Amino acid sequence: MATVEYRNISKSFGSVEIMRDLSLSIAEGEFAVLLGASGCGKTTLLRMTAGLETISGGELLIGGALMNEVHPRDRNIAMVFQNYALYPTMKVFDNIAFSLEIKKLPKEEIRRRVEEAAAMLNLSDYLHRYPRELSGGQRQRVAMGRAMVRDAQVFLFDEPLSNLDAKLRAHMRFEIRQLHNQVGATTIYVTHDQIEAMTMADKIVLMKGGEIEQVGAPDELYDRPVSRFAADFIGSPTMNFIEGEVVANGAAPAFAAAGIKLDLPEALSAQPGQKVTCGVRPADLVLSGSGDIEGELVLAEKTGADLNLHLTVGGADFVATAPRGVEVKPGTAVRLAIAQEKMHLFDAETGRRL
Amino acid sequence: MIVQSKAQRRVRVVTAWAVVAVFVFPLYYWITTAFKNAKEIFNLPPNVWTFEPTFRNFEEVFGISLGFFRQQEVLPGGGNFYMAPRLWDSIVVAGGSTAFAVAVATLAAYSLSRMEFKGRHAFVSWVLSTRMMPPVAVAIPLFFIYKDVGLMDSYLGIILIHTVMNLPLAVLLLKSFFDDIPKEIDESALIDGASRWRIFWRVVLPMAKGGIAATAVLCFIFSWTEFIFVLTLTQTGLKTVPVVSSSFVTSTGTAWGNMAALGVAAMVPAFIFILLVQKQLVRGLTLGSLKQ
Repeated sequence: MATVEYRNISKSFGSVEIMRDLSLSIAEGEFAVLLGASGCGKTTLLRMTAGLETISGGELLIGGALMNEVHPRDRNIAMVFQNYALYPTMKVFDNIAFSLEIKKLPKEEIRRRVEEAAAMLNLSDYLHRYPRELSGGQRQRVAMGRAMVRDAQVFLFDEPLSNLDAKLRAHMRFEIRQLHNQVGATTIYVTHDQIEAMTMADKIVLMKGGEIEQVGAPDELYDRPVSRFAADFIGSPTMNFIEGEVVANGAAPAFAAAGIKLDLPEALSAQPGQKVTCGVRPADLVLSGSGDIEGELVLAEKTGADLNLHLTVGGADFVATAPRGVEVKPGTAVRLAIAQEKMHLFDAETGRRL
Repeated sequence: MIVQSKAQRRVRVVTAWAVVAVFVFPLYYWITTAFKNAKEIFNLPPNVWTFEPTFRNFEEVFGISLGFFRQQEVLPGGGNFYMAPRLWDSIVVAGGSTAFAVAVATLAAYSLSRMEFKGRHAFVSWVLSTRMMPPVAVAIPLFFIYKDVGLMDSYLGIILIHTVMNLPLAVLLLKSFFDDIPKEIDESALIDGASRWRIFWRVVLPMAKGGIAATAVLCFIFSWTEFIFVLTLTQTGLKTVPVVSSSFVTSTGTAWGNMAALGVAAMVPAFIFILLVQKQLVRGLTLGSLKQ
């Protein structure tokens, strides 16, 4: 187990700079998820951590030791790749044992460690099969087993679940997280799937364009997104946004948009006339006859547990979550209420939270 | 599968067989020629299906008597058409140059596929460009070079030139096979602590077996059928089958039967070689199914 610290990391490919001055620290035993859209630099950061990509500037420290020029094999890390990267010509046992054989451990020791890992991962019956004879989930577990036997101080995962179907993915999320709880190694996990990030992470690092947008616990990102981008990225269904402006409403400010007027907290640092975007999570909207937001129902989508009501509000698309059993016909008008503390206000120009 | 009517299917089958027949017939005719005596070869209309089979052509070419098949006079070895050593020459040259070319090309292709170095892309194009040069343009200068360095008329000389001739194609072909193997597998082994050589030998090479087999087949066939270098760079020390075939054309006529016999015999080693690597060849073609 070790801490991982990035100090002013930058990365360029030729003349293209894709990352600048990125600083981040991950505590010992922490499960950190690098989250972001494709091309945001999250995989590059992970590969730099593994030593598969050179670091153009800044310092990388693992367990307090500078790693910039250290060979991947000497960093004491383990990595699980998106396509598993198993050795197809070796059986499961040899796949898991490969790194131990290189270390020239005694045969008995290798056997013991492989069998231990296999038992933990429910792979004991498959040790003598080839990777091609395994299902996607089993292959993924072999990849994890390969990482586990090494007693690495940092585990790196590069979108390990994106090749699996939805049900298996949910199951593997649980398994990986449980494994982390058992093993306790510092883990850095890359994904573009916010649900994976929300369900697994101790700490989410949301990235955008090679920079860190927000770092925090999952709840923190969900409840207090620092920007419109962060608000939009986290949560499913995604947050609703209404463009409007701040108006004076007696002593307290208010948010006004086409047909909507919502009171804002007095302490808000916004000036009347300022263009703002109001964000509301679908789950925070409540159907109420006295609600401030009026819309027309387009479609009620059943998810099983509840309903996603798709509405048009002042010409914009809007989604609200309602408990199952609510009967609303498409085409009818509905009113929605929102608690003041559930509103997220962003500057329309900078996108930053107000 | 696309649904087809019975008639459509029948047309397909008939066409397929017709195409096969067009390709196979010359081979059949050539093989039967090897078993005909001189008179029957020139019969008009030709005896395509019925003829008196004889081993005489083979006996002359290989200097052996196949008398246990048919009582007749024993031929002494070393006659004009005695070609057994030439077949051996071909096997040594093709086998040697294939082994050499594949060994060098595998290493070169792996580096070109995996390692970043300055001018890598230019290097690949340059490798390809050497293949564009017509052998005739090189043959004469090579003749003088070989004479000076003493490689003339030697196995080593011919193996070397055939290796060099096959290298560009072998490198490019193998590079594409290596390119198809996900780089993550190398990286995974790198993190596991393996050295470059170990990754190449233990991980990547076994995965590229199919590609190596396919490349070896091509190299073997190119060397087996190569004519101009062997013609210019050898005298009496060795001659391969393609070159020696021309010696059946004599002032008293062409010995078609003997030529066909040598041709048929020359098919056998190539056939065996391909048969041996065939299993790997099929693996090479289905490699994609392992990747994930």
